[in-house]
Amino acid sequence: MTDVSSEFDHAAVLAKCANGEHDALHQLYVHEGARILGVVIRIVKDRGMAEDIVHDACLNIWQRADSFDPNKGSARAWIFSVARHLALNAIRYRDREITYDINDPTDVTHDEHFQHAFVVEEAFDWQTGQQMDSCLEELEPERRNCVLHAYVDGLSHGEIAAHTGAPLGTVKAWIKRSLQRLRECMA
Amino acid sequence: MTRPSYENDHEDDHALAGEYVLGTLSLEQRVALEARLPNEPELQKAVMDWEERFLPYTAITTPVPPSDYLWPRIERSLAAREAFAKRGRPASVAPPRPRRLLHSLPLWRGAAGFGLAAALVMGVMLANDVTEPTTPEFMVVLLAPQTQSAGWVVQAANRQEIQLIPLGTFEVPEGKALEFWTKADEWQAPVSLGLVEPGQPIRMRLDQLPPLENNQLFELTLEDETGSPTGLPTGPIEFIGRAVEI
Repeated sequence: MTDVSSEFDHAAVLAKCANGEHDALHQLYVHEGARILGVVIRIVKDRGMAEDIVHDACLNIWQRADSFDPNKGSARAWIFSVARHLALNAIRYRDREITYDINDPTDVTHDEHFQHAFVVEEAFDWQTGQQMDSCLEELEPERRNCVLHAYVDGLSHGEIAAHTGAPLGTVKAWIKRSLQRLRECMA
Repeated sequence: MTRPSYENDHEDDHALAGEYVLGTLSLEQRVALEARLPNEPELQKAVMDWEERFLPYTAITTPVPPSDYLWPRIERSLAAREAFAKRGRPASVAPPRPRRLLHSLPLWRGAAGFGLAAALVMGVMLANDVTEPTTPEFMVVLLAPQTQSAGWVVQAANRQEIQLIPLGTFEVPEGKALEFWTKADEWQAPVSLGLVEPGQPIRMRLDQLPPLENNQLFELTLEDETGSPTGLPTGPIEFIGRAVEI
């Protein structure tokens, strides 16, 4: 994977959006639209819903561009976060209406056999050449998979448990500890 | 309102921000965190730090070119929004007139809605448990009458200021708009709080109205794109709920 974003000035485009220049939003759409839609489709798994979310994300970016603060983070991270959180809110909202019991207490008991049951395969081609790679590298593969299933696929704790076969309580603990280790590693 | 800066509190917020960015929080936890964000710069920073760390991994996904219809649709919405902004409808106080429809709709008492309300209240209380006692807070979950599914949440930090937060998207038909209304038990008729954009959070001060009270009704109706011609709700109720004092 290569860094395709380096030549496009996301912060400048946001500044132009804040200034009311439609053309700037269009430039952003042309440059990042397909990548944003790719991220959103992977999370919501529905093309029509994903396009609705990209539509909402563009309007959101336009409306909130003046609130973007370059001291708090990069413009590209901000732009993608707007779309991702709309997608995540939409699926968490949708999932509330599906009644499968992820809080079933019997599921939380620790499965001693799970971790030794099979060799864990990498679920993602995740190396990006960024600093975070070495931190993710330090996580056990099954924990790294949980983290990436959540971030990339938008899976909930319960869905990750179902997907990987790990007990729900284990998945929750893995993710919590993994985040703690990643933060320490990136500090 | 200041938050005491306990070290554990900070650690918890970093962990919470991480799970928020990762996407593993429940809807209620997400809404509670998003409600805190505007007033808590440190939490904002914690969230942005995680966004930054994980951003490179968006490249794991395959880009998907949007359909040819998407950009024209965005442009139309943009134009509509600008027309809407220029019109600048302030919260207007309508002349009171009795309204039958509201009395015939006890739908908001649906058990599903109350479950979510309780969960949201808990989420907010957990998020605020280190803050000093402040003025009363209110919470309203606005449900779609037909499906009893929650579409919006109203949160009030005090009796004069509310925030309307969308929980999902809502497709407004061409030439129509969502109008936001409120009515306390003693009022003769609902009062318009103006038009709202689907999917957009909005914060408003209710300076021209009596202080917010328990059980006060809030609803969103579908009206003409310039708002109700009569100053009272005329279109179908899309979302409705009542304020619960926390």
